[in-house]
Amino acid sequence: MSNVKPEDTSSLGIGTDQWVEQHEKRIGNRSGLVGKALSLLQRIPVFARYGLLLGAAFVFGALVQNEYLLRIAVNLGVFLMLTYGLNIVMCFAGLLDLGYVAFFGFGAYQYALLSSPHLNTHLPTIATIPIIVLSTALLGLLVSLPSRRLFGDYLAIVTLFFGQVFVQLVLASDSITFPGAEESKDFTGGSNGIPGLDKFKFFGFEFTSIRHYYWFVLVVLILLTIAITRVDRTRIGRAWRTIREDSLASESMGISINNLKTLAFVTGAALAGFAGAIYAGVQLAVFVNGFDVPLLTLIYAAVILGGSGSIPGAIMGAFIMSVLPEILRVPEYSEILFIAVLALTIITLSKSIKKILLTFVALLVTGFIGLLIFQLFGVKRALDETWAIGPVSKIMKSWLFVPENQIFWGNISFVLLIAAIAYYTTASKKIRMIALPIIGYLAIFLWEVRLIANPSVTRQLIIGALLIVLMIVRPQGFLGKARVEVL
Amino acid sequence: MLEIKDLTMQFGALKSINDLNIKVNQGEVVSVIGPNGAGKTTLFNVITGIYTPTSGTVMLGETKLNGLSPAKVNRMGVARTFQNVRLFLNMSVIENVMAATYARTKSGLFASALALPSSKGEEKAVRERAEELLSFFGTRLTGYRWGEPAYSLSYANRRRLEIARALATDPKVLLLDEPAAGMNPKETHEITEIIERLRTEKGLTILVIEHDMHVVEGISDRVIALDYGVKIAEGDFEKVATHPDVIEAYLGRGTSDKK
Amino acid sequence: MSYFLQQLINGLTLGGVYALIALGYTLVYGVLQILNFAHGDVYMVGAFIGYFVMIASGGPAASAIPMPLMIFLMFAVSMLGTGVLGIVIERFAYRPLRNSSRIAPLISALGVSILLQNAALLIFGSTVRSYDTSSFIPSTAGFAVGDVTVDAIRLMVLILSLILMFALGRWVNKTQVGRAMRAIAVDKDAAVMMGIDIDKVIRWTFFVSAALAGAAGIMNGLLLRGVSNGMGFIPGLKGFTAAVLGGIGSIPGAMLGGLLLGVVEAMTQGYLSTNFSDTYTFILLIAIMLIRPNGLLGKKMIRKA
Repeated sequence: MSNVKPEDTSSLGIGTDQWVEQHEKRIGNRSGLVGKALSLLQRIPVFARYGLLLGAAFVFGALVQNEYLLRIAVNLGVFLMLTYGLNIVMCFAGLLDLGYVAFFGFGAYQYALLSSPHLNTHLPTIATIPIIVLSTALLGLLVSLPSRRLFGDYLAIVTLFFGQVFVQLVLASDSITFPGAEESKDFTGGSNGIPGLDKFKFFGFEFTSIRHYYWFVLVVLILLTIAITRVDRTRIGRAWRTIREDSLASESMGISINNLKTLAFVTGAALAGFAGAIYAGVQLAVFVNGFDVPLLTLIYAAVILGGSGSIPGAIMGAFIMSVLPEILRVPEYSEILFIAVLALTIITLSKSIKKILLTFVALLVTGFIGLLIFQLFGVKRALDETWAIGPVSKIMKSWLFVPENQIFWGNISFVLLIAAIAYYTTASKKIRMIALPIIGYLAIFLWEVRLIANPSVTRQLIIGALLIVLMIVRPQGFLGKARVEVL
Repeated sequence: MLEIKDLTMQFGALKSINDLNIKVNQGEVVSVIGPNGAGKTTLFNVITGIYTPTSGTVMLGETKLNGLSPAKVNRMGVARTFQNVRLFLNMSVIENVMAATYARTKSGLFASALALPSSKGEEKAVRERAEELLSFFGTRLTGYRWGEPAYSLSYANRRRLEIARALATDPKVLLLDEPAAGMNPKETHEITEIIERLRTEKGLTILVIEHDMHVVEGISDRVIALDYGVKIAEGDFEKVATHPDVIEAYLGRGTSDKK
Repeated sequence: MSYFLQQLINGLTLGGVYALIALGYTLVYGVLQILNFAHGDVYMVGAFIGYFVMIASGGPAASAIPMPLMIFLMFAVSMLGTGVLGIVIERFAYRPLRNSSRIAPLISALGVSILLQNAALLIFGSTVRSYDTSSFIPSTAGFAVGDVTVDAIRLMVLILSLILMFALGRWVNKTQVGRAMRAIAVDKDAAVMMGIDIDKVIRWTFFVSAALAGAAGIMNGLLLRGVSNGMGFIPGLKGFTAAVLGGIGSIPGAMLGGLLLGVVEAMTQGYLSTNFSDTYTFILLIAIMLIRPNGLLGKKMIRKA
């Protein structure tokens, strides 16, 4: 099983155990292409990696003029804070908090109430941020305290409800009539949200440009990364991890698991609240629909995809989940991305260069066959060429048959694609070879015909599929360490 | 030191432990033997707070242990190992031991995050203590192994690590649940020596569950035999090993003969 | 008083639907200890299938076939369809993860839920369909006892859900597969050693669980609620709540929890404001969870060392 050749004894010596030495390499190697990419990455020393990232971030913040891009970056930063927070709750302490996004919303709404014309309160930011962080932490305490003794599943349930209660309360709090009052008071703006929030203001300096927010978030993230890394390596972080490993053994070693769980929960909540405050300050408006399950799934996907428990994983996951959708919004870019991913998938799945070439050729052939079949059955072709948005689809114009009734054929191809993928996972090697080009064609067909016009749905579909596939193929995410689980 | 009085542990209709009385004096090494299902591990679970006894008391000196959570029991001074080794597998060897010093240390979240001097000093001390404890087992758990994940350890090393981890909680009483299980004769001999060293060098009071009679013979000041949750014999090894009830409990139930 | 009874009837009807969803959750949790987050979306698919069967038979107004037959077909096709969907989901999203950590199937379930919702959005679009039940079952039909009216639709739904619950009870207790399912729920390894074909039984469990959800979906549609791709989320949550309320893993518990939940919801809507009704329901349930975390009929879990 080991990839070590007999002559490769350079790392051996008295007292060194070959098995142990090869261990990390083995884990990496087993995971194919991704593993190879990772071991390449690992050659770069740690501080250099962070240094590069930091350098890139500085350059970006100093040079980029496009406000839209800066805004994306700030959103990424906020999202990363959320990923950090969930990382602490889920991966350090092993708790399943399904209402996490409610703390984010709580922080944002608090900011809206404390720094806006809505309630005519305009506290300076130097005051609002600590207030928000502390109160969200308090809320986290209130939520987790009664459920301390609950087993994992039950905490998930209670937090899920809490998340819903939050949304419901906010929606309904646009007309609260206090006993004795004449008319109802609008606290939260209900489904309309609260617009017109104050910009951040520190000691008279107002954040007039998005760039100010960018630097602020960058500094916060740097500090947080250092702090979290430190905590992870020391007493509390270790104790958290023991809870995740084996809570019974942990408790038997004197670790007060309930207190620590609460601590993790509260810390995560506080981070989310902080992120919420910043988000509100950037968006200058809050709407409760942004703080519900769709965002929750994004954060979870980010944590899991990137690799639970690792800071680099969080960064990568946040990047994928936050920046990618932005890329998908632009049809030209999303098309290139799609083709790239498809090509990558085919390359990863076919083990040899010969097979890769064969598959591509077969893909081309399938396309032409499809063309023939459609024309044979007299299916009407799309008259205009509005579907050919990007450069790649322009090339594909004569190869890909795009029917007129796009919705109908899109649906059919969608069902066929799912069936084909399902079949692929159970089929033998030979059948897989034939199935792969067909799947590729169906995917391209579906993409051009339907998905490219519906980026938001596409994004969700990809996330859903990714979550399932990831759990099966690589549950530790891209940058996480493979874990040994005790059942 | 440790006194168990009229202890009964009932699960539904089954009395796993029935009116048990055990006394362990300071510095003693007492072995608990008995066929499978006799209630030995249940006894450990009750002492360490995992189960709350149906009736009876567990006293550590003047302190009542029954009803306390496992964490509190540990802080009172009772540490244990598990029958089927429960290490923190994905954490490194040294982290397993360092983590167990939790109750004896106090760096909080902020102190660690801000890298305050007190936190850094404590971290250093914890690390040194862990290294010291691991060195107790000689060369087996030293050097390069410290940074390796616990799941990479061999079975015997895992058992040793578990003992080291238990020691990190600074206990007065150590409960070892089948420390020699699955070990070859050489490793078994080492465990016997380790247990003796734990008594003499660390001054611990030790309660051991064991099936291997060589170990029992080698370490015990006293042996207690249980069957169906009841004490059927107590005394030195010779006396208990030749006790008719004990022999019947083992042979009469068709368990394999002495290893 | 009659108002109270009216709300009670409404609540029980609603509760019957919740009970069916809850049963689906509890069955799956029993055998696999997974919280099947995708369950609510299977319910949604069931509602859609029923809708399309209705359309296909020319309905709702100009139905080509007699109405009872149409309703029967809706249920039959839908339950079969969702049952198969349940099996497919199990095969591809849960089976590979049987030996993984506890979180992996949960995340996978989340993925399935997202997939289903968005696939439905893509294929069916975002327009809300309606069963328009009153066109084939006049809303004036039914009977009245004093001031309390029980309209035909509600009555049918209530009776159907009771029938299904009863059928499920028989299946679990009297058939071999049902008993095998209970055995697996108690101790999976022992069941394997007794020669039980785990895969087959789990497949059946998912089939039944999903079929119940499908039936619930149609009932929801019949009660004149809209059919859309996101309709499964809140009912799924509530059905889940009901299962937990009654004690997750306990079949009578799921039935009890469902009915109770339905009644509570009807009562809060009837006596307190409709706006906050969901909030009250959830708060009440959090409270119950904290007092009795194992649910009303659940068993206490013992940690083993």
